[in-house]
Amino acid sequence: MMKSFYNKYERLSAYIDNELSDEEVKKLQDELKFSKELQEKLNELKRIKILTASSQKPVEENPFFETRLAAALRIKTPWHKKIRRYSPVIGIVAASFLLMVILKYNPQIVDRVVEQQKSNIAAFYKENLKPLLFTANLNNEDIFNFALYHQLPLDKQKKQCLQFGSDKNGKQFFEIKSGGIADNENNLEKFERDLELNTDQKRQMDSILSSYKKELASQVLVNDKNTVAINPNIWNYNKALTADLISFAAKVSKRKLRNIFPHEFTGEYNERDLNRMVHAVKAVNTNKYIFLTPDSIFSDKYVFNQEEFNREMQQWSEAMQKNMQQFEKQFGNFNVHFGNNLTKLKKDSSWERDFNVVIDSNMCRVHIPEVVVPRINIPDMDALDGNIDSLTTHLRDFYFKFPAHPKGKNYSYKYFYNDSTKGMKLNFRAFEFDSSFTDKNHKLDTLLQKRFGNFNYGFNPDSLASIFRYFMHDSTNSSRDSDLREQMQQFRMQMQQFEKEMEQMQKELRKSMPQIQPEKKKPFEI
Amino acid sequence: MKNKKKNEKLPLPQILNLDDDFSLIKRFIEGDESTFRVLVQRHKEKVRNIIYLTLNNHDLVDDIAQEVFLTVYKNLGSFRFESQFTTWLYRITVNKCKDHLRKIKIRQIFSPIKESEEELGYEAPPENSDIKEIVHSAIAKLPDKLRVPLLLKDIEGLSYQEISESIQCEIGTVKSRIFRAREGLKELLKPYKQELL
Repeated sequence: MMKSFYNKYERLSAYIDNELSDEEVKKLQDELKFSKELQEKLNELKRIKILTASSQKPVEENPFFETRLAAALRIKTPWHKKIRRYSPVIGIVAASFLLMVILKYNPQIVDRVVEQQKSNIAAFYKENLKPLLFTANLNNEDIFNFALYHQLPLDKQKKQCLQFGSDKNGKQFFEIKSGGIADNENNLEKFERDLELNTDQKRQMDSILSSYKKELASQVLVNDKNTVAINPNIWNYNKALTADLISFAAKVSKRKLRNIFPHEFTGEYNERDLNRMVHAVKAVNTNKYIFLTPDSIFSDKYVFNQEEFNREMQQWSEAMQKNMQQFEKQFGNFNVHFGNNLTKLKKDSSWERDFNVVIDSNMCRVHIPEVVVPRINIPDMDALDGNIDSLTTHLRDFYFKFPAHPKGKNYSYKYFYNDSTKGMKLNFRAFEFDSSFTDKNHKLDTLLQKRFGNFNYGFNPDSLASIFRYFMHDSTNSSRDSDLREQMQQFRMQMQQFEKEMEQMQKELRKSMPQIQPEKKKPFEI
Repeated sequence: MKNKKKNEKLPLPQILNLDDDFSLIKRFIEGDESTFRVLVQRHKEKVRNIIYLTLNNHDLVDDIAQEVFLTVYKNLGSFRFESQFTTWLYRITVNKCKDHLRKIKIRQIFSPIKESEEELGYEAPPENSDIKEIVHSAIAKLPDKLRVPLLLKDIEGLSYQEISESIQCEIGTVKSRIFRAREGLKELLKPYKQELL
């Protein structure tokens, strides 16, 4: 209502200003004829307009205006005011020029700045590094398993561990895994039981492990910034420890040792070389560590002060005894997160020059092609290396025989496996077993040739056990094996089809030649 | 017959005199700076009046008018001939006035308040003042956004279109503001209703 009122009067206002169209004027004039109110308002507005127009005196002319303006135009703008307009551009150009000059005469400056930043970051992550031994509270069992499984626990509750290994090309790698700690409980106890160690010998065994525990203290360091620093000499320590354990076991009893390493170990080892190797490893003094942090991975020098740590350890051991919970809260919360932090590494390619990193949801593996593990100068080291690898393999792997399955029937096999520490029963379904063949063509050829007779099949521990080990410890190989399983599944289907065709052919042969009797089959043996 | 219809639809040819604004500007752009003087002579009084009406202060008129023409001189080379020169000129003038008012307001924030400024409402003009002064005083009381379009219309005789381009708002807004200015003026002049209205 109010708006229409205003619109009506606004039109009147515009009417006296001659701002209405002809049509609007005509319409308004018609309305004015019949509305006294509008007429009064129109007169009022006209009076105000006249008053407004007459109220203002024109401005007096200024005869000097043009002269002043001409003078102002003549005055040239000062040069510094002109330059001010271009000051941002001039600044950028000058800065660029300065940078070009600096880079021309000092090209290393960028590298130096980058290196400086790197060293700052490195210094940040190197702060307050403590031995894993101290923070993860490693015991002799863990040290024994380190020899056996190349594994050290980072966080026992969360089953996060540090795994060491070498790839096919002999290049070392380490990986941090969540849920990767195998059920290796009481391995030390089993080992001691099988060797039938007496109290003194057990004490000696503990002494060996304790001495390595102390030595390993400076090989893996961690801190509250989730940094893991690894000394490459740890691979040598692993071999030395294993060699030391074998040496000790052989001293106790070669016969019993042969029970633990049943097949390939002959007992023909050189104890003097083993001892030389152990001493050589302990004598290596390398300060170059590999640092795995939430943001980066790099190799840098770091001097671990063993004496200072020992002093701290002494102080802390008293505190630990007093308040174990407080200690664990302060030092026992090391945990590497795979989710967000480590996956950032994928986006940053700078580290790829030195390290090859594989990351999945629960594992981070770092291949270290450039960081050379210290080489120990012993003449028959390679032979000894091979022998140790072979022996430790037997601690984990196994060997068995099984017969061919009968045609057209899906059999299961039960196998009682005596691994010298504990009897173990393994169940395999016939076709499921095929899926774990690595060299499928060769194995299946063998199977086809002997399918109607008995046969003994010796699984190569290196192939079968390595696959099992992949499933247990190495998640990166799962994807490759899934492809293999898929191929095998297709192959099995083709085989079943082939078997049906063969059966059909046999039936037809029997019909056509009834006088031919089928040959009796021999019973299966396990 | 057909030709006649065609001719009706076509816009009438614009006859440009040698001394019209566009021709003078073109010559200025071509290098003849003497034409600028002609433009100044032609439009200076209008510009000065607008400044006076907007600021209601004689002392400032010449200074701001000079600023206006200096701005025109600097930017005339980039004039795009899309609107009347006067529209462009008035817009610059109004903007200069607005800038000045803005500066005054900022200064007032940082200066002590005077007693006279604290008093609100209509100030009665002196008893012996004449009608012109009373109305002038009442117009001065109107807010800038109402006063300027009213004076541009009633004193300078600009069209709504020109006013809208000068103060950079819609024609409907100009129409509404002029009406509201007149209504406001009526209210301010109520005490003198018998003599004036």
